[in-house]
Amino acid sequence: MPRVFIPAPARDLTGGLVELDVEAVSVRRLIESLETRFPGFRDRVLEEGDLKPGLRIAIDGHISAMGLLSRLEPESEVHFLTAVGGG
Amino acid sequence: MPPLTDEERAVYEWQIWVPGFGETGQQKLRDASVLVSRVGGLGSVVAYELAAAGIGRLVLAHAGNIKPSDLNRQLLMTHAGLGTSRVESAQRRLKELNPRLEILSVAENLSEANAERLVGEVDLVVDCAPLFPERFAMNRQCIEQKKPLVDCAMYDLEGQVTTILPGETPCLACLYPEDPPSWRREFPVFGAVSGTIGCLGAMEAIKVLSGLGEPLAGTLLTYDLRDMTFRRRRLLKLDNCSVCGSTTDSGES
Repeated sequence: MPRVFIPAPARDLTGGLVELDVEAVSVRRLIESLETRFPGFRDRVLEEGDLKPGLRIAIDGHISAMGLLSRLEPESEVHFLTAVGGG
Repeated sequence: MPPLTDEERAVYEWQIWVPGFGETGQQKLRDASVLVSRVGGLGSVVAYELAAAGIGRLVLAHAGNIKPSDLNRQLLMTHAGLGTSRVESAQRRLKELNPRLEILSVAENLSEANAERLVGEVDLVVDCAPLFPERFAMNRQCIEQKKPLVDCAMYDLEGQVTTILPGETPCLACLYPEDPPSWRREFPVFGAVSGTIGCLGAMEAIKVLSGLGEPLAGTLLTYDLRDMTFRRRRLLKLDNCSVCGSTTDSGES
């Protein structure tokens, strides 16, 4: 089952949970599963049906160009990368 | 390159011992210049480590005066300096550490208006700026002027760093093509988090300038200090990147 890592800005929705296994064959399905378990998650990562600007998906160590359409394997590791800056 | 002086050999003895660096590496650092854009939580530590390592010339760009909320992480600022210029405080602290260091202090933040001039002053840029218009302006100028860019960022207990080599690697706009509307200039962070990423960014600059080791070229290092997890991710070159699309020599995956 793919393992997803929750980005820091969305961990208030997961009660601080950082990583969990989710049954999903694509990133889009994974987000729907997370929305069911953690209502509000979808709105944190999607805007008008697509990934929010400044959000990228990394699967198994590579930044994906396919976004929501990215396919997941049972052993996939999925990370949401958020655009952050200095200060 | 002129040989090191006796004073330089004495000060940098411990790092000259590093295999692959030596006196030649030290000479390269001494003859190099770096722009640190903003000397806040990240940039203070980047500048301090580069000053300590014997970089020859620093250009520091940061507007404004020291505020109380700077002091948890901006290690070149002091309580006694509250209300005074950030870059002047930074320059003073750096010169205390390394009086041989040449510093150009600019009491402005980097912008589209001054990016070409500031990037043109140096051999390498370290991006420590909070806002994406600044970061994108720096990225664009580095690509145009073919200057290496070490990009540092953080949030909460997490950090990111990558090294952009124009013509070789994806650029910042490949990673984040648009200004993220949800990002804000003020955000939760500890000084120990910005200090960590600042040290990593300084080390990347030292490696690129001296030829030591392997920089994070085309690779994004991310870490989460909540559980001390460090990960490396390959960056993807955007074929249609508006900034580097026509300058990258080889495709990245």
